[in-house]
Amino acid sequence: MREAYIRGVGLSCALGMDAEQCVSAMLRGGAGPTVLRLDGFAEPPMLQYYRIPDGAELFDARRFENLLPPVVRAAVTQAGLTADEISALPVFVGSSCFTVGLAESGYRMALAQRSPSAMPMPVCDYDYPARLVQQALGCEGETWAYNTACTASANALLAALRMLQIGAYRHALVVGAELANRTTLAGFSGLQVLADVARPFDAERKGLVLGEGIGAVLLSVEPGPAEAMRLIGGACNCDTYSVPTANPDGRSTAAALRQALAEVHLSPEEIRGIKAHGTSSTTGDQAEAAGMHQVFTTVPPVSVLKPYVGHTLGACGVNELVLYAGALARGLLPATPGFETPDPGLRIHPLRQSVSAPDGRYLLSHFGFGGSNTVLILEKPA
Amino acid sequence: MTCRVLSASHYLQPVRDGDALPPLDQALKQICREHFRRTDRFIKLALLGSARCAAGHGLKTDCGIYLGTGFGPVASNVAAQEEMLRDAQLPKPFDFVNTLGVSAGFHVAKNLGLTSQNLCISRRGASLMAVLTAAFTDMELGLVGQALVGVVEEVTLPLDEHRLRRGLAADTAVAEGSHWLLLEAGGDAGRTLHLQRFWEFPVLEAELGSRRRAADRLCLARSMEEAATGKLQRRFPDTYSGDLAGAFHDNLEAAWVAEFAAGGSPGSLFLADGGHKRGFSLLHLGA
Repeated sequence: MREAYIRGVGLSCALGMDAEQCVSAMLRGGAGPTVLRLDGFAEPPMLQYYRIPDGAELFDARRFENLLPPVVRAAVTQAGLTADEISALPVFVGSSCFTVGLAESGYRMALAQRSPSAMPMPVCDYDYPARLVQQALGCEGETWAYNTACTASANALLAALRMLQIGAYRHALVVGAELANRTTLAGFSGLQVLADVARPFDAERKGLVLGEGIGAVLLSVEPGPAEAMRLIGGACNCDTYSVPTANPDGRSTAAALRQALAEVHLSPEEIRGIKAHGTSSTTGDQAEAAGMHQVFTTVPPVSVLKPYVGHTLGACGVNELVLYAGALARGLLPATPGFETPDPGLRIHPLRQSVSAPDGRYLLSHFGFGGSNTVLILEKPA
Repeated sequence: MTCRVLSASHYLQPVRDGDALPPLDQALKQICREHFRRTDRFIKLALLGSARCAAGHGLKTDCGIYLGTGFGPVASNVAAQEEMLRDAQLPKPFDFVNTLGVSAGFHVAKNLGLTSQNLCISRRGASLMAVLTAAFTDMELGLVGQALVGVVEEVTLPLDEHRLRRGLAADTAVAEGSHWLLLEAGGDAGRTLHLQRFWEFPVLEAELGSRRRAADRLCLARSMEEAATGKLQRRFPDTYSGDLAGAFHDNLEAAWVAEFAAGGSPGSLFLADGGHKRGFSLLHLGA
């Protein structure tokens, strides 16, 4: 099966405003979240949050149009595409927020003005991020908006890979986009699944720490001038155990891992490392750990990147791919801050220090609301 | 690629000013294996359409769900925003969870016992072609053996706000819909669905010219590039206008195809979409 070359990347997240800067900051240990008070509620929630250091007001409705263009331009510039190639470029977007923040802003303003025509959800447009990308790049190719919660941009990557594999496109731009909005922050607060510290697979884990980020990956069937990482396959499935979490017995996460390995004819022993999803939730980490043990006799070195950038929800597939591939390109498997006390029930021990990354294949796992499990396989070329 | 259409279901219901939303619970009770609590209207529409489509068919374990929508679960988003911004309360957990488009696919999968892919994809008014392209791609690569492909659009009350959100004129008649096809890879028995992609408009035009017989219905997607639409309308003056219920939703093309397939209409249907930079797609629903 044909692979796709990662010809260009872009990223804005809590670690910085460009991909190289973010990878360097991650390998130095990252900076951690900041405290956020969510005003406007009878009892304002206080939460830890990994925000993009852009200096703007967090809920400013213009942040999407300010932050997205530089990220996608960086990916396309690095790829060195011609003007003709850019003009027909298809854009795949994975997000769980889309225009929710924009809609909140409009409704909030109308309520503040006591407007009799104040209307909730005045804007509703899944195509909005893709259209911003098109405006920024001047491209007019097909657009795809994936709305599968925390696996959205991982599924967008998989969909783009498959379209490249059947020869529908030569190049594809995949974007993960998640920016702060009240619905997400208040919604997760209401679910009571947030914690002060991300501690993936740790005995003391208490829950998620959220974050925001916009990432972009330019995939191509042509290798380009520079040595490039390759996205070689993946798989996704659906677990109907419950909407918020996969079955803790690990059956469905194991099935997604096995399916991904089978698609590219790999045995578990050929995997050199795992970028785990690692939300730090009790049952989420349980389901993921159980799945890994069902597939691997010896679990390869595990890295979890959410302690650097927070859980960027629909964007985490692209954002964490950019970070993980960036670390691999520098010959390193990243450490997992926050992991201190092994959980004997999980038996997963993420790396506490970065270690050397051999050439070979790596798994990237993503599990989300709606029973969505998505696994990607990345190759670091010799 | 060609696949077989095992079945289709078509629900299109106009909602008029002053009307309540049409009741769904009784119909759901008759067709669903279990009663799902805390579901919103978008989920109910998806459950209804998918269950009707799958009824009487043994679904394969590798049947993928491809749910398309232009606007998604608006009512749950409205509820969450009102709870937060008007009432200063945290959103109710189920309102928040139901704001995600993928929640509908989860319930469809649970109801039908499916564990393969569950994707929610949008391309505004061209969402049918997006989900069909995704499903065909996965079938071509052998990743799924069957695909349950649906498009769902809900109506929210009051209707004047619903129209504002969609940029519709105040007197536009609106409808909600749930339109589904159950597809199986391979084979040419029974009704077939064929999807072709072209980079050049003249190739699409020539293909239509050579394959379309006079009795075949020709639909032009409303998202098709204006110049291409004009050329095809001049060449084929009898294109189908698709005014099924005298009411509008954002992906009526799905209604055209599902109604044609579900109704057992004679002849075949062509649906053309695309533009010169994004490429052209031609869907052929065979007899």
